[in-house]
Amino acid sequence: MIDKRLLALPGMRRYMVILGILVFVQAVAVIVQARFLSVAIVNLWNLEPLNSILEPGIIFAVAFLCRHLLTVAENRVFFPFVEKTSGDMREKLMAKIFHLGPAEIEKQGTGNIVTMALEGIDKVQTYLMLVIIKILDMSITPWLILLYILFLRWEQAIFLFIIFPVIILFMVILGLAAQSKADRQYEGYQRLSNHFVDTLRGLSTLKQLGLSKRYADNVYDVSESYRKETMSTLRIALTSTFALDFFTTLSIAVVAVFLGFGLMDGKVTLLPALTILVLAPEYFLPIRNFANDYHATLNGKNALSAVLEILNEPEVGDTDKLADFKWQADANLTLKHMNFTYPNTDKPALKDVSVSISGMKKVGIIGASGSGKSTLINIIGGFLAPDQGGQVALNGHELPHLNQKAWQKNFLYIPQNPYLFHATLAQNIAFYVTNASPASINQAVSKAGLADWVATLPDGLDTMIGEGARTVSGGQAQRIALARAFLDTNRKVLLFDEPTAHLDIETEAALKKDILPVFDNHLVFFATHRLHWIGEMDYVLVVDHGQVVEQGTPAELTAKNGEYVKLRSEMGAPEL
Amino acid sequence: MKQLRQTFAHDTWVMPYLRKYKGLLILVLFLGFMTFFSGGALMFNSGYLISEAARQPSSIIYIYIPVVLARAFGIARPVFRYVERLTSHNWVLRIVSDFRKKLYQTVERKASAIQRSHQTGDILSILADDIDHIENLYLRTVFPMVIGWLLYLFVVIGVGSLNWVVGLLLFLLLGIIVVIMPLASVATNGVREYRQHQIQHRFYTNLTDEVLGLGDWLISGRYDDFMQLQTKPIKEIAALRRKDHYYQWWRSFFVQFVVLLTTLVLLIWSGISWTGTKSMADWIAAFALAIFPAVSPFLNMSQGMSEWPVYRRSIERVNQLDQGERKLPDQTKLDESFSELAIDHLTFRYPEGDRNVVDDISLTVHAGEKIALLGPSGTGKSTLLKLIVGDLNPVDGKVLINGKPVSNLQKVRSEIFGILDQQPYLFNTTVMNNVRLGNPNASDDEVKAALAAVGLKNLIESLPEQYNTHVQEAGKRFSGGERQRLSLARILLQDAPVIILDEPTVSLDPITEKKLLDQVFKLLKDKTIIWVTHHLAGIGHVDQVRFLESGHFDMQGAPQKLYREEPRFRQLYDLDKGKPSD
Repeated sequence: MIDKRLLALPGMRRYMVILGILVFVQAVAVIVQARFLSVAIVNLWNLEPLNSILEPGIIFAVAFLCRHLLTVAENRVFFPFVEKTSGDMREKLMAKIFHLGPAEIEKQGTGNIVTMALEGIDKVQTYLMLVIIKILDMSITPWLILLYILFLRWEQAIFLFIIFPVIILFMVILGLAAQSKADRQYEGYQRLSNHFVDTLRGLSTLKQLGLSKRYADNVYDVSESYRKETMSTLRIALTSTFALDFFTTLSIAVVAVFLGFGLMDGKVTLLPALTILVLAPEYFLPIRNFANDYHATLNGKNALSAVLEILNEPEVGDTDKLADFKWQADANLTLKHMNFTYPNTDKPALKDVSVSISGMKKVGIIGASGSGKSTLINIIGGFLAPDQGGQVALNGHELPHLNQKAWQKNFLYIPQNPYLFHATLAQNIAFYVTNASPASINQAVSKAGLADWVATLPDGLDTMIGEGARTVSGGQAQRIALARAFLDTNRKVLLFDEPTAHLDIETEAALKKDILPVFDNHLVFFATHRLHWIGEMDYVLVVDHGQVVEQGTPAELTAKNGEYVKLRSEMGAPEL
Repeated sequence: MKQLRQTFAHDTWVMPYLRKYKGLLILVLFLGFMTFFSGGALMFNSGYLISEAARQPSSIIYIYIPVVLARAFGIARPVFRYVERLTSHNWVLRIVSDFRKKLYQTVERKASAIQRSHQTGDILSILADDIDHIENLYLRTVFPMVIGWLLYLFVVIGVGSLNWVVGLLLFLLLGIIVVIMPLASVATNGVREYRQHQIQHRFYTNLTDEVLGLGDWLISGRYDDFMQLQTKPIKEIAALRRKDHYYQWWRSFFVQFVVLLTTLVLLIWSGISWTGTKSMADWIAAFALAIFPAVSPFLNMSQGMSEWPVYRRSIERVNQLDQGERKLPDQTKLDESFSELAIDHLTFRYPEGDRNVVDDISLTVHAGEKIALLGPSGTGKSTLLKLIVGDLNPVDGKVLINGKPVSNLQKVRSEIFGILDQQPYLFNTTVMNNVRLGNPNASDDEVKAALAAVGLKNLIESLPEQYNTHVQEAGKRFSGGERQRLSLARILLQDAPVIILDEPTVSLDPITEKKLLDQVFKLLKDKTIIWVTHHLAGIGHVDQVRFLESGHFDMQGAPQKLYREEPRFRQLYDLDKGKPSD
């Protein structure tokens, strides 16, 4: 019943003991409260004067307040622990995100991860808060009450004792039946609920085709059939609650009726009978509370599983295999028969790739989309690890992969859409060199061709950019990435992944002029399918279906008249 | 109160539906009331039953009715509850169907056929969530509140008819729980909710920012900065949660305290007024036992009510959708076939904009002509397209089709314009259904012929389910080029005279791009084409190129002529072609 993972949380057992004691005291208060309420009623029933209920009334009131104060106390005692546990979890999750790196996070989905860190952890918190106290309540209170009833009148105690497992049994049976039906329906159900968003997203297309008006009725019809399916699932799902409700209320009625008969026969007096009747709902209260919050706990449980799953994701280890490293004119990077396979696929995305590059070269990587250009760049950047260790080497040091802290200090990665943080322009440019002086930033800005644009901004370099702030065009984003490269003179390796693919031709032409100077005195890897860049390269890797099918200087490859020449002619445009 | 009135001032989302499904609504409220009534009645009756039995009456007849009633209420309560929950869910889901249709229609009226960003999708998800919120508003706030108030009135009037002083006391005491506390909760929570929303929003955007830029964080090695950036919002969220919890716990305690006072009032009242005779005293236990189940629906009213600010935001958001709708002029038809599209001194600026996005543009396109529009992002290409199809009304100037303003032709727009954009949407249904959207009256053979024309016949027939293959969510099953060809097939079926190509190849690699463009211009050789593109691949297909720069035309002419005469064009073309620069 209790989630084993919760017990494993550090400090949990100690809190369970403390809470157990509080719940126990609370159960005693419940009994005292019921007892003295009954005493007061019976006194009045005996037509005694009003002051006869003064004493029991006060005891009842005190017990009643105690009981509810204890609820607050339980929460107050437990909450700091829950807060710390969930806070730690949120922090661990953040650290994990950092260590897993972009490739892994992309797999999980950005939105997914962010929602998990925010709402997921909140749900875990609620879950912890609810489940522990409720379970303790359920495992202490009813039994103490039962013991007391047993002491008053064993017949009712036995009845209440027997009905308890019956209730649980019916709940489980009906719950399971509902579950299997719900599972069967889930697929169709999911499709129906997605249909609405699907339609909304496709609205533009519907409008283009002149169908958008007509689709409104379709939306309604689908929603109505969704309602009918939901209702048929609910009819069963709610029977489980119905069973609980039915048995508990009926039990109270039965207890009342039998006590009535007992009283008539004089086998029992009013006081114990009334006490039992007051206690009967209290006996069932914990299990009803538990059932009421069942869905909240279920959500929390799933959220906890999801969070733990991420926290248990294996991290790439051995990120310190490379001692201090600096890319210099005599440095060398080698890939030896390197293979890479994406998880959950069986065909390798890169096969038997062997490349050796030394010094400050400009290496072009060309091929059709899906050929493996980006994967190769990701391997070089260490965002992905080769299938086996020892397939990559820096200066002859064989390494398990390139996710090496010392190597990461040497390169900059410039993708198709460089990410711009929600920060000032200056902060974005100095992201890699946080202590850069304003003068050096200005210099980088003008080298990257941003000076004119910055001059038009009212706040200049202090303008906020990124999500929700001033929008920056694709060309300017590339220039900001470029400014980062100009500013950071320590990083001698530049990884470009299709930096200009989505830019219009004029912007690209202008950008190219400013990119070329940064190539000097750098090792450049440049993945592209824009042919004019090849002219700027010293060395070209032609990638096709995950293999490097040709490599060499552009002149060599042209002379060879093989894959490179073929690719160029396929991609090239005719003369006008 | 003022806020409440504001929220519902122009409400078309909540109140109308309450009226529309009045009958069912009353049934739900009745069932909810009966559930709690039976619960209270069970204990009331049981208290009376044992008190009466304890007098040891001479015959079982004396307690016969309470015995029967005990069983009846014992069964009635769960049955009422079960039926109530089914009915209320059914009611809410019925409303949701109406909501969805309404939301769809509202969004539809504003949607543009020219679409670039993906973000619209997210906004739509928010709207879809809003509908869920309104669903919860009923289930978690409206129903429990109204049922609670009904019960409150019942108890107060019931007791008040026996003794008006006690009735008044209960009116005041229980009034604290069912009126004052919920209102106080909304007031406190309204402020906190707003703050919480802000902090969460900041945490959310910060975190998204960090996760999206994770590559840069990783390479920069700034682990400590990365972690530190979140410390503050995490702390703030924790503090907020703490306050919220403390508030809730003490509120519950206070509610219980009021319950205690109510119980004591009843006890004292019983002691004073009901101890005249033995048979009267039998009712004391009845009242005392009934009080706890009777107040149980009141306990959560504050919580339900405190969720109101969340719902209010949703209600206001969906209601805002209705505002600012565009009125169309009288619609006509195109009786003759398309002959000419004339753009006449067209000027447009966005209401909030500071410059003309389209600035005095004139252009005439005759039937069969093919025109390419080029220019950097933000120069007004997509605005121009929206003006051409009539999704936007110009500030000045006209768009005429065969001399008729395009705004008068909106009803027959799909008979004039076919559009192929960057990311044509494939619906989560079969290939056949998706392509048939181009012309719902097309036969299976016509659909197959269109697919064959775009060169997808072999691919689709090689799939296990052939034309009945589901395209899966957002068409992930097919590659970029294949998706474009599927929508090209759709356009072939649509058979409109003017085709707008809105950067259809932007996410394709050069080889795929070239193949697609060759195919498009071959299949659509008889059509009029307006093609927005970002570079010069395939430019030889068109009669005329126009460069758009800050809202007006810059360089223009036939591509061959431009190549011969304009060095700038020649340079760009050579660059695009991959000719190494000299």
